[in-house]
Amino acid sequence: MISEIILAVVSAIVFPGLLFTVSLALFTQYIVRKASARFQSRMGPSYVGPFGVLQPFYDFWKLLRVKETVKTRFSMVRAAELLLIVGIVFPISALVFLPLSPFRISCEFDILIFFYMASVMPLVAMVMASLAMPGPYTSIGVSRLLSIITIAEPAFFASIIIPVYLSTRSSGLLMSISGYVNVYQAWERPLTALIMTLCFIAFIISLQAKAMYQPFNIPEAEQEIIAGFETEFSGPLLALVRLLHDVDLAVSILLGVYVFLAGPLPFRHLSVGGVLMLVAKYTTLTLVVTLVRSIMGRYRVEQALLQLFKYSLTPVIAAAILTLLV
Amino acid sequence: MITGSVNLQISPYEAVTISTGVVALLLVVTLVLYYALKSRTIRVSDVYLSGEPESVVSRLSPSVAALYWGFMRRFAKSIYNMLISRVHTGSLHDWYKFISSWFGVLILISVVVFTVLKLAGG
Repeated sequence: MISEIILAVVSAIVFPGLLFTVSLALFTQYIVRKASARFQSRMGPSYVGPFGVLQPFYDFWKLLRVKETVKTRFSMVRAAELLLIVGIVFPISALVFLPLSPFRISCEFDILIFFYMASVMPLVAMVMASLAMPGPYTSIGVSRLLSIITIAEPAFFASIIIPVYLSTRSSGLLMSISGYVNVYQAWERPLTALIMTLCFIAFIISLQAKAMYQPFNIPEAEQEIIAGFETEFSGPLLALVRLLHDVDLAVSILLGVYVFLAGPLPFRHLSVGGVLMLVAKYTTLTLVVTLVRSIMGRYRVEQALLQLFKYSLTPVIAAAILTLLV
Repeated sequence: MITGSVNLQISPYEAVTISTGVVALLLVVTLVLYYALKSRTIRVSDVYLSGEPESVVSRLSPSVAALYWGFMRRFAKSIYNMLISRVHTGSLHDWYKFISSWFGVLILISVVVFTVLKLAGG
């Protein structure tokens, strides 16, 4: 019992908890920045650490330790800090449901708990924290973010739920992430492969909207609404909001690796092949997201919503109908 | 001695309880780390309005109604325009026609569903 508690604490704080996830989030930011720079014939981060890999950490550290917090008489800095930390902690804690964790929880419908912790809570925290530092640009940014999330979040939810249902309906715990071992079977049969493809397309597009990457970066449109919902954040608060964004993205991609690409399979978790396979799948998904970000321009709000409806929500609705027929 | 890994297969209620415990633990650790490391310098300034004074805006945060109508007017513009042009014409007949047509569709759907359920149930 005591050894289990120690393992749970180590899992929560070291791997795959706080330390690992923060490092993964900053590394993901590095991949996105470096790859999109190369797509645009720029250098990207180059000087801090080998190949510039420590640049995101250095940026975070400088904002946290050196930069000042700029506040107005309307700002609620403590509330914003607390909300952003809550937003960071929830997706990291959700990793106890992933098979990656040495201390792992699984139960029926654990994907719903995971989704609530890793997808809903960061978003709510980000919106509430932005509204705790009010300003007209912030308000416009939050309003745009909420508009986009109205379509993107249900599409993201459905794109995750349907593959999990397909991989757990015949064996194992129903609607559990542990069903990732059956994901290859879903890709092997023609009809379920079609459903998986539709869900994967919806997943990538809604993830792009959740991460506020092009073409769905209208909530933080520079030149037009300054930094949107981020406008009033500075110093340590800006460090937190950027970390929250990166943690959210990293955990979402990690979920995608398990739900669509079967995690470390065909290898086991505790093997060299398994680790390499996880890294390869994670990097590939991150590069796909970066590629879309690099080749697209910014949509206006109504364009973004229409495209999300067409290419994200419609495919998952079609996938849901097909799933009922299978 | 800790070896290998632990996989707890539990009920959803226990899973929520344990994950909440993990959240609480990480919240304490992260708060302690953040307040130990953060920069203490604070500068008070006006709200950023691209150089304009604060008097140019009436409110700093949008009302719930503004968020709702912002979404409705931007995204559901066509639906909004259709409703305005068909229902909000000032004529009671137009409103009645619109509402009754929708009621008709709903009644039709309910009759079909009821019939299918009746047939399926034997």
